[in-house]
Amino acid sequence: MDEVLDVAFEAGHILLESGAEIFRVEETMRRISRYFGVDEGHKEFFVLANGLFATGKTERGHYAKVVQSRVSSARLSRVVAINQLSRQIEQGRYTLPEVKEELRRIKNIPEPPKFLLIFSAGVGSAAFCCMFGGGLSDCVAAFMAGLILYTFVVFVSEGRMSKISGNLIGGMIVTVVCLLFQKLGLGRDLSHMIIGGIIPLVPGMAFTNGIRDIADGDYISGAVRLLDALLVFMCIAVGVGMVFTVYRHLWGGVPL
Amino acid sequence: MMHFLAAAVGTVAFALIFDVPPRYYALCALIGGAGFWLIELIMSFGLSQTEATFLATMFVTLSSRICAVWRRCPVTVFLISGIIPLVPGAGVYWTAYYLVMGNTSEALTRGFDALRAAVAIVLGIVLVLEIPNRLFHPHRVEK
Repeated sequence: MDEVLDVAFEAGHILLESGAEIFRVEETMRRISRYFGVDEGHKEFFVLANGLFATGKTERGHYAKVVQSRVSSARLSRVVAINQLSRQIEQGRYTLPEVKEELRRIKNIPEPPKFLLIFSAGVGSAAFCCMFGGGLSDCVAAFMAGLILYTFVVFVSEGRMSKISGNLIGGMIVTVVCLLFQKLGLGRDLSHMIIGGIIPLVPGMAFTNGIRDIADGDYISGAVRLLDALLVFMCIAVGVGMVFTVYRHLWGGVPL
Repeated sequence: MMHFLAAAVGTVAFALIFDVPPRYYALCALIGGAGFWLIELIMSFGLSQTEATFLATMFVTLSSRICAVWRRCPVTVFLISGIIPLVPGAGVYWTAYYLVMGNTSEALTRGFDALRAAVAIVLGIVLVLEIPNRLFHPHRVEK
């Protein structure tokens, strides 16, 4: 029984770290433990945006486990894999050791290669620059700004710097790079270049998940995630604003 | 049309960053592209940006749920990617820009526009998520 709770806990832990909603994490843990014979009333799971708690009554006494977790980056492929696993468990296709094995495999699903992440950040920047009305040369500049920004994110800020300084500096980098490009004659419309460039920083996952958690009634986790999103938005804005301020003092006037 | 394509490409770029399995890219692109295109279409009928964002969000959430049932995967996969083009990233930039320029009233206007868009997204998602799950399973009898 301890084993069952361990497996359910591990599945929940992976889900939470990969960016699933609280509801899904709790539901999956409950389903797995129910299928393997731990009845309601013998266990309780409690999940927050940054930690999991589980207690249970087993034949050998009490079970308790707490883990602190932090969403590092979105890993939706793991969420999909565990969702499928829990579905198949309920169809009776897995024994407990097999579930363990499968969870180990899911945990080791490799991240997309770094260069691909950087490249798609560039593509995303260019695409958003175009959507908001930028011309071709603006998009090229936004593409490069996105590349440079995400190289910074992947190799310097992610996991090492706090969200505040990471996004602040990210916003600054994009603005400096775009100003530079404009001076060099690449891209005309500075605003569209910067808007495209900062898009990879926008906290889409924290925002959407925060809304969903609140809709599910998980207010604490939802509030934490929305606060996270708001903070990131503000840091990006401050980063862009800081560079503009310095520019204005040095050269007078902000170029558009 | 150009903007539809750009939004579709942008959505896939984000889907890749979020590590969405490649087999869902096409649907993500369709949802994201159509969502952004809808905003422009609705605004051309004279509705405000907030209203357009609200309706487009409802569309994105609804089609994400349909696709999630169809492809048997978490709705998160489509929703997070598809919402990205609707998030008021540009509003954040303009707010910062006007604040620094000392144009407080314009900064406030832009800031509140961004906030309104965010609230519209919240409402759109929440309302569509409230629709009971069984309506999405026409062929399956509830247990």
